[in-house]
Amino acid sequence: MENTILKSVDFDAYFGENQVVKKVNIEIPKNNVVAVMGPSGCGKTTFLRCINRMHELIEGAHAKGKMLLNNEDVYGMHPIFVRHKIGMVFQRPNPFPNLSIYDNVIAGYKLNGMKIAKADRDVIVEESLQKAALWNEVKDSIHKKGTFLSGGQQQRLCIARAIAMEPDILLLDEPTSALDPISTSSIEVLLQELKKNFTLIIVTHNMQQAARVSDKTAFFYVGEMVEYDDTKNMFTNPQDKRTQNYITGRFS
Amino acid sequence: MVILFSVICTVPLFVILIYILKEGITKINWHFLVNLPKPVGETGGGIANALIGSLLIVFFAAVIAIPIGIMGGIYLSENKKSWIATYTRLSVDVLQGTPSIVVGIVIYFWIVKPLSTFSALSGSVALAIMMLPIVVRSTEETLKLLPDSLKEAGFALGLPYQKVILRIILPCGFSGVISGVILAVARIAGETAPLLFTAFGNPYFSTNILKPMQSLPLLIFNYATSPYDEWHDLAWGAALILLLWVLLLNIITKIITRKWKIQF
Amino acid sequence: MTQFETEMLDVKSEIINMWELVLLQLSKANQAMLNFDKDLAREVILKEKRVNAFELKIDRDCENIFALYCPVAIDLRFLLAVLKINSNLERIGDIADGIARYIVESSEKFDTEILEGAEVLRMFEDSISILTDTRTAFEFENTLLARTIFSRDDILDTINKKADANITRFIKKDPEVIGQALFILSIIRKLERVGDQSKNIAEEIIFYLEAKVLKHQ
Repeated sequence: MENTILKSVDFDAYFGENQVVKKVNIEIPKNNVVAVMGPSGCGKTTFLRCINRMHELIEGAHAKGKMLLNNEDVYGMHPIFVRHKIGMVFQRPNPFPNLSIYDNVIAGYKLNGMKIAKADRDVIVEESLQKAALWNEVKDSIHKKGTFLSGGQQQRLCIARAIAMEPDILLLDEPTSALDPISTSSIEVLLQELKKNFTLIIVTHNMQQAARVSDKTAFFYVGEMVEYDDTKNMFTNPQDKRTQNYITGRFS
Repeated sequence: MVILFSVICTVPLFVILIYILKEGITKINWHFLVNLPKPVGETGGGIANALIGSLLIVFFAAVIAIPIGIMGGIYLSENKKSWIATYTRLSVDVLQGTPSIVVGIVIYFWIVKPLSTFSALSGSVALAIMMLPIVVRSTEETLKLLPDSLKEAGFALGLPYQKVILRIILPCGFSGVISGVILAVARIAGETAPLLFTAFGNPYFSTNILKPMQSLPLLIFNYATSPYDEWHDLAWGAALILLLWVLLLNIITKIITRKWKIQF
Repeated sequence: MTQFETEMLDVKSEIINMWELVLLQLSKANQAMLNFDKDLAREVILKEKRVNAFELKIDRDCENIFALYCPVAIDLRFLLAVLKINSNLERIGDIADGIARYIVESSEKFDTEILEGAEVLRMFEDSISILTDTRTAFEFENTLLARTIFSRDDILDTINKKADANITRFIKKDPEVIGQALFILSIIRKLERVGDQSKNIAEEIIFYLEAKVLKHQ
């Protein structure tokens, strides 16, 4: 596939002796939204966390195989560097409660001790909040702490914080599971905008969301990637019986 | 019935407060605070040396106990299962229950005897040992309450482990950690027994921590049991000061907790 | 079984019932034509209301399933096929109704010689057989059977093409028969359309089962 930004080759992931991701080979094209779906325990979240090397933070967790970001193996780079190039947004919105909205957005630079001129900082904060569709709602209270923000706004703040680092890829682990339908909807619209500048990989257990939001979808089952195709094809005519059973709700 | 017993619980504090207030309030004035104790027979003494002494001893105890306690608390909250953590927790709990006089005697043998002198520093060490369990436990409990998602957010931004702890976790748990520290200080401010064999007391004004130093609890202990009325007066005044000091610290803790506590 | 699966099975049995009804309508129209039985023909005309009622109900049931369950993949294709087949069957019902009306309108019994000569009897038999087979293919998910429909429809097309010449021959032989001959010609045209509708139904069945689109090829 031309224009591939991320490629995994025979990728395995383990918790101790227990293998939870088995020989996954996937190519993610640039500026796409790729959804990863599957039943609970299928390894989708583990695989996602391997991409930015968060998986290995758990005791006893390790991985094998290649994970190539622009043809360079992520496991050959320093993990800190990897996480600067690959950002992550989590299921529960987790802005830093002791920092203002401004400081939250710039946290990736500030907490890492990277020095940036104030003017540049202001630009980064405003642009990131604009891209996260949050600027207009918070621009007057940007130095206040974000405790008054709703769940959806907090999640957009987390997205702004992640994209402020200008990553190549943004990973989203069930980003709207904890949100109400309207916030969910606004985040989904946001994802379509974000893909212009970033590549997004989103894990979701909500099939309709995968169908609405993604260009390509991967279906994981018991640690294997069973099928990977354009979303349209996956949902009108899946090739594998297991995929069909899952999306038609024949098993959970 | 329950209400009755709750009220009964407040009675002792009330009685103590009123009694000491009554006895001590007349003794406190500016001279009282800035003068040294006069020899027996003379009126107009003060507790300046004990006041400064208490402040210095407590200050150095805090300087020793706070970093060690906080680091210990961080380690315990981060490592729930390792054998070091289990052993440390056990030790800290036992330490908390160790009688203060035993701590004093031990420090006497460890520091006072080798240095051949009583000193404020040895007093600080003894008090620090008593502060340690409180600081460690309250730090650990505060940090344990913080959700893991905070750490994850830090890691995902490419922060190394130390920065995640020092620049995210600790600041978020700040109010809890600080209240633990202040409570520990309030606790040891009035400890007398450890100071008996370490700081020992000093009738003169001194700021040399390598020499004996006076402190409020020691002063109260010595003067209250003496046969001289002037010294009794000093003791009452000192008791009131000490009480107000502890009360103030507790109130500050409550304010900090309410104002700065981050809800999750 | 989930509510969704129950409703899907209900839709399937509804449309099969409609199939049965339409097949019966065609058979009755056939009998009415052979025996010049106006009463039977009127029965067909009356029963047409039931065919229409079936169509409306099946449309509504499919709409509900779409709204409530967001079906995908094979379930989605099934419902899309059912909607189209629903419409095809309704048109075949119309055709049976139309043929029955000719019987009622005609003042004279149709000459068996003409019926055989123009191969109308054969057309009727074949079209009913093809429609029956589409129903079997649908009910038992048999795409092989569905594929045979295409060539058999060709036979109906051939008869239709020869109809002009055949009917003209009969009229020239005996101009008196022009009345019934015109009716018979119309019946032939209508039966050819039954074949077309059946072919469309077969295409939908293959789309539903194999996700292959054979339309307009």
